[in-house]
Parts: sequence; structure tokens; C-alpha cells
Amino acid sequence: MSEFFHQYFDFNYMGEHFWEVLEAFLQNLLIFVVVAALALTWGLILALLRQLPGKKFMPVRFFTIAYIDLFRAIPILIVILLISGGIPFLEFIPKDIRIPHWFGKPDPFWYGTAALMLVYGAFTAEVYRAGIEAVPGGQMEAARSLGMSHWQAMRHVVVPQAVTLIPAPMLNEMISLLKDSTLVSVIAFAESVLISRELLAESFNSSALLLTGVFFIVIILPLARIVDKLIARNQGKITRGSHIEVA
Amino acid sequence: MRKTRLTALFAVLLLAVVSVVAIGCGGGSDSTTGGGSETSAGGGGEPLTVGSDIPYPPFEQGKSGNYTGFDIELMEAIAEKIGRTAEFQDTSFETIFRDVAQGKFEAVISAATITEEREQAVDFSNPYYLSEQAVLVKEGSDVKSLEDLEGKTVAVQQGTTGQELAKEELGGSEIRPYPEGPDAVNALKAGTVEGVIIDAPVAQNAVEKSGGVEIAEKVPTEEEYGIAVAQGETELLEEINQGLKEVQDDGTYKTIYEKWFHLEPPKAIFGATHEAE
Repeated sequence: MSEFFHQYFDFNYMGEHFWEVLEAFLQNLLIFVVVAALALTWGLILALLRQLPGKKFMPVRFFTIAYIDLFRAIPILIVILLISGGIPFLEFIPKDIRIPHWFGKPDPFWYGTAALMLVYGAFTAEVYRAGIEAVPGGQMEAARSLGMSHWQAMRHVVVPQAVTLIPAPMLNEMISLLKDSTLVSVIAFAESVLISRELLAESFNSSALLLTGVFFIVIILPLARIVDKLIARNQGKITRGSHIEVA
Repeated sequence: MRKTRLTALFAVLLLAVVSVVAIGCGGGSDSTTGGGSETSAGGGGEPLTVGSDIPYPPFEQGKSGNYTGFDIELMEAIAEKIGRTAEFQDTSFETIFRDVAQGKFEAVISAATITEEREQAVDFSNPYYLSEQAVLVKEGSDVKSLEDLEGKTVAVQQGTTGQELAKEELGGSEIRPYPEGPDAVNALKAGTVEGVIIDAPVAQNAVEKSGGVEIAEKVPTEEEYGIAVAQGETELLEEINQGLKEVQDDGTYKTIYEKWFHLEPPKAIFGATHEAE
């Protein structure tokens, strides 16, 4: 039992390596911020492509749905390994793009963010879709009858209402994205889990892993409370019978 | 409510049954693979009991009754020279030195590095294997030695001697620790790193099986593997050292080494000595 505590709860050890682990955790936050910005944009684009009307856009809808299904089904770890192991071999792509070192970040960082963006783009697209489909059909019809195009109606009427309905599920996606940023450790990007495991290999003490876990808890628990608040607020609106805000 | 409780109860029962079956099976297979000792062919005379933690390929591998590997074949050859027959016992590495000190078996050959700490408990023979690290690079690379990797991106396997070596020797390089050796080799082939520092047998395996990569330099490390006997067993230790020298002199050692590592043995191993404390 004391061995267990020494192995995982060595507070002296945590203190000694606090800054090292924190610095590595900041890399997780950086991955998170970059991927969140990209995936929220990419997901919205996918959701809008999926809603395009008419026979003409059938192929676009088909490929968008195929993409979303595929990337929701395939484990992120596999996407990360395939991208980091595959892209560098594509010699027709210029070397600066194939093996990117943009903004002073090594290539595993960019392979990891690309993989996470591809996958989380698919997940956020589904959240946007839920929001868009929750806006009553009459809104679109009314906008179109006023002479707006499909795109204008989406831009000015439907999407502004949709995004007010989805902060809670979207925040849930973001929480899981932050946690999944640790997966980039498998391609040797020095984020918090990799650094903790380095420390474990050096000292045979796992306390750094626990410390990393604590950092995640500190960031994520407040976010989870915000999700609860948002859900309560939305339900309040529905019970008052006016869940549609005036745009 | 009642229904969910029943479902939960059923689930717990099912889990219990499954785990009992699983544990039962595990125990069963354990008793068939472990614990058994076996006599190998050749030699003759009184059996020499040898403890080893199996598997640890390519040093020791195979099933009970049919153990093989570099350590196993070398030990069989040494035993033959001293007129005995090696008899192997699979055992756990954590307790292996305690067990040989207590006489559970007479000798230990288990890819064990000679360390001062271990020498407090047992006596070691002369080194029979020198651990080497290899600098693995892409075919036709400008990197010809470990020093050439200074300032470049280098892949290693996490927690290995190769990683320590890279940290010590290549201060200005970006060192990427991959979870497994093949991941590091893959990064090299992909061109995202310019060199890999890894155990020589692993590097050689990559050269043969994967292609497109070559060994630029081999770097000897401080690690020497030895055969352990209980303290005070001076006579047995001398016999083992003599046997080791004979198999090295008549070429048996080289044959076994090349069979298991697909490499020529390092010259330093021949006649390498180690003074027991």
C-alpha cells in the first residue's frame, strides 16, 4: 500500500517536476487552441455543405456525409499514426508541406493537429447539424419567401439561431478534444503524457502522470460546470415556450 | 426500478462468471508453461541447473522443453565443454539473483548486465556479451557517425540505453522518444528524423527486414552481460570462464552469435575479463 502511494502520490517528486510537467501541459493547451479554431470552422463548412438543397448538390452531400461517417468511425489514434507515417512519403508534395516545421513547431505537432482537426471537424459538423435542424423549418421558408437565397437564409437567419442552441454539446466536444490532445504523444511530440512517461522511465515513479491528470482536471472541471449551466439555461427557455431567440 | 436492479445483478453475476473462467484459464496455462525444467541433448554427466527469465528474445525464447536463443545455446555449449548438461528453469527476473544465491539453481544466464549492486549478491563470470548501440540512418545519408547527428533530429525508443546515449552525446539535437523501436525506424524512413539510436540487434533487424536504412556506426556501451553463480562457488565460476573461453576459441561462440544477431561479434568480447569481488 505504501509502495502504491510512493509510486503515484509522491508530492515531493511532483513539486520537483512541477514546472517541467506544466510546460508540457501548455503544449496540450496549444494543440487544443489550434485544433479547436480549425475544427470549429471546418465542422461548420461540412455542416453547411451537408444542408445544400436540390439534386445538383447531391454529390456534395454524399461526399460530405461519407467524410463525416468515416472520420467518426475511425479511431483517432489510427488517423494520427497514418498521417504522421504516410504524408512524409508523398514526394509529389513540396518538402515544406510534407514535413512541416511552421512557426517553430516540429512536424509531429502539425501531423497531430491535422489528424485531430480532420476527426473533430466531423464531430463538430454533427453538432452544428443538430443545431441547424433544431431551428424550425418555417424560419428557412419565411426567409426564402422574403427573397433570400439559400445561402443568405443560412447566413442571416438559420445559423445565427442554430449556434445559440449548441454551446453545451459543443463544449462537450471541446472537453474531449483537450483530453485527446495527449494522443499526439505516440508520434513523439513532447506533450504532458510523453514527458510524464519520460520521468517514469528515468525515476520509476509515476507521480508525474498523476500531476498531469490534475492539470487536466483543473482546466476541465470548470468547463463541465459551464456545460451544466448552459443546459439549464436552454431548458429554461424551452419551458417558457420560446427556445428560439430573435436573431 | 426493480427491472434495472435485476439487470444490474445479472450483469454482475455474468462478470463474475467470466472473470472466474478467465482466471482459471490463465492459471491453467501458467502451470503448463512455467515451473518445468528440462534437459537438453548433448554433454552428459551431472546436469547443471540454470535459471533464466524466458522469454526475452533473441536471448531466450521458446516453450518449456524446447527453449532456445543466444543465451540458451551458449550455455549449452559451455556446459558441454565442462562435461555437464544444461538444464533450464524458467523463473522471474526480479527474484533470479536471490534464487541462485540460495541454491535453487547453480547458475543464471538471462541477459543480465553485470552491476555493482548485483555483485553484492552473486558472482559473475567474464562478460559473454557486450551491449552495443547502433546509429541507424537512411541509405546514402551524410551521417557517418554519432557525432554527425549533433544538431539534427534524432529518434530513440523511450526509456532505453539509446535514449540515454543520445541525451549525453547530442546536447544540441532534438531527440524524439517513440514508444516502440519500429515507430522510430518508420520516422527515419519517412524522413522526419535523420538518425535513430537503438540496440544493435534491433537496428540490424530493421536493415534486413525493412530495407532502405543502414547502420552508420556502432557504439559500445558500458553494459556487459555475465553468467551469475552463488558467491563462493569459485570452482564452478572458473569452469564456466574456462568453458566460455573454449567456445570463443573454437568458433562456436561466433557461430551462435551470428545465428541470433545476424552480426559479427565485437572483437572486444574475446578474452574480455571480469574480476569477481
